[in-house]
Amino acid sequence: MSEEIIRLNNIKKYYDENTRVLEDLNLIINKGAWTSIMGPSGSGKTTLLNIIGCLDSATAGSVSINGTEITKLNQTQLTRFRRENIGLVFQQYHLVPYLTALENVMMAQYYHGVIDEAKAVEALKKVGLGHRLDHVPSHLSGGEQQRVCIARALINEPKILLADEPTGNLDQKNGEIVLDLIRQLHTEGHTIILVTHNSDIAKLGQRIITVIDGKICSDSACTYEINEK
Amino acid sequence: MIGDKMFMRILGKSILKRKSRIAIAVISVIIGASIATALLSVSLDVSEKVGIEFRKYGANLMVVPKSDTIEVGFPGVEFGSVTEQRYINESDLWKIKTIYWRNNVLGFAPFLYQVVSVGDGVNRQNVVLAGTYFDKNVVILQPYSPNDNPMFITGIQKISPWWTVNGSWISDQNDTTSAMIGTKVAETLHLRIGDSFTIYYDEYAGDAINETSHNLTVVGIIETEGYEDNQIFVNLQVAQALTHRPGKIHTIQVSALCNACPVEAFVEEIQANIPYVEARTVKQLASAEMNILGKIENMMFLITIVALIASALGVMTTMITSVIERQKEIGLMKSVGAENKKIVSLFLSEATIIGVIGGILGYIIGIILAQFIGYSVFSMSITPRFEVIPLSIGISIGVALLASILPVRRAVSVEPAIVLRGE
Repeated sequence: MSEEIIRLNNIKKYYDENTRVLEDLNLIINKGAWTSIMGPSGSGKTTLLNIIGCLDSATAGSVSINGTEITKLNQTQLTRFRRENIGLVFQQYHLVPYLTALENVMMAQYYHGVIDEAKAVEALKKVGLGHRLDHVPSHLSGGEQQRVCIARALINEPKILLADEPTGNLDQKNGEIVLDLIRQLHTEGHTIILVTHNSDIAKLGQRIITVIDGKICSDSACTYEINEK
Repeated sequence: MIGDKMFMRILGKSILKRKSRIAIAVISVIIGASIATALLSVSLDVSEKVGIEFRKYGANLMVVPKSDTIEVGFPGVEFGSVTEQRYINESDLWKIKTIYWRNNVLGFAPFLYQVVSVGDGVNRQNVVLAGTYFDKNVVILQPYSPNDNPMFITGIQKISPWWTVNGSWISDQNDTTSAMIGTKVAETLHLRIGDSFTIYYDEYAGDAINETSHNLTVVGIIETEGYEDNQIFVNLQVAQALTHRPGKIHTIQVSALCNACPVEAFVEEIQANIPYVEARTVKQLASAEMNILGKIENMMFLITIVALIASALGVMTTMITSVIERQKEIGLMKSVGAENKKIVSLFLSEATIIGVIGGILGYIIGIILAQFIGYSVFSMSITPRFEVIPLSIGISIGVALLASILPVRRAVSVEPAIVLRGE
């Protein structure tokens, strides 16, 4: 039986009485699994990702990641926990525009407290950008920027990689390159949680969760269990 | 160390990326710093120079001997009182330059007055003779500090430089034949520069047997529109010899520059050094002077405060705009692990750099502005003061940091989730 790495119990997220984003959400994700999260816009999937990524806190319920109950952590502790355990890949890349590809990766090392330029160069080479180290984001294509984002997400060797529509802004060719990289990371043992609208991409994962109106509407793992029974 | 290098890279590139925004903040600081520098320089310099200007209108301290009053009469029968004429010893003059505020004593001049007569027979006229120092080297026998100059050149030329003199001042302190006469004396006695005349002195009125005389030559005619116009001025030893009062003087006029120190402190100290004298302040002038200087300084202080507030508001607006523009960048930094203290140090470092650049440029512009104010308002040049540089930079950094408090709080409140929301 696989070891669980993420456990969400009765998670609620309300911005106010009328804006209830997540309602009594329960979720367990196993170590090394690739979970795809689908759902229409405004369904709460990004909020769910934010809570798992320690970027946002739940109004109620408990979140345990890698054995740590993160709902009990303060802001500083959450920041430390995030940088040690979670890598983030964004739809819009979010690179610092005035830093080079290498510096963007090293920035994550700097905030982690361990700067190793050779390792940062290696990470960029791994995503096929060894020749673009000194280019600023505006001189890189969308696909290249997303690969810098992946290199940055992985530089501190996080256990979990959260990707929010990582191919949403890319053409098919660049999308393939990025998905290949994620596939490779999964093969290496990273736990992947990927939010997407694209069912073909979702199917790359072992498990597909669909969130609608703040609730998990379908879970391929459950379907599998039901079918097994 | 490597972390510091990375921090400097992020800081440097972030500043270069937003050059125009930073330039606006720097200009705001320059405005405040230049006004602060200009007014501080003007205030420091003008206070001193205006003080010296005030000194031109005469001495502001008068030292006289304490007078002893003797009661005359028998027990039960009072005839009133008489006041004994007393003198100050010329040998005690140097003590005035040994008080704590000695460096603020610009000069002093002793005076021995006596009524003498000039002319022959029925044309004799009485005139006040004043023996004094014109430009004398006084030896300070026991300087207050070993670093003090043991010689002090002083006299009426130093305390009354505003006198209009036709001819010349008496420059030789041992000159016993020259006299400077008031313009009214010259008119009454029909004396001109180069003319010789004789003065006569009787110890007691009508005592022609013991009458002493002295021949003098007019070297300068004084016009002050004051009582000096009716007097004859000679070297002190001439008056002392003529009136048989060697080493004696009646009064000492002291010119003290006293912007930061209380005039009363001078009085107390002079009286402590020469116990048998009384020092009196020419209060009207001293207080008027301090009042005007005080008002100038207050006005400049207020303008500086207003300028610095305006400067701080300029920096704050620019920084807040910058934080709003960089919300995603701040959120991103937080999402990849930046703690709040890293964000705070980034913005405060930016503010410090803005303060340093603004302070240095503000000092340079402030010095030019000070010259403009000096010439147009006070008709005098302003000496640049290098001690104002650290003050200007310090104030600028302070203003920039103070102005950053709100923007930094706003930056700290940016949520890292903003980057995933795609706002």
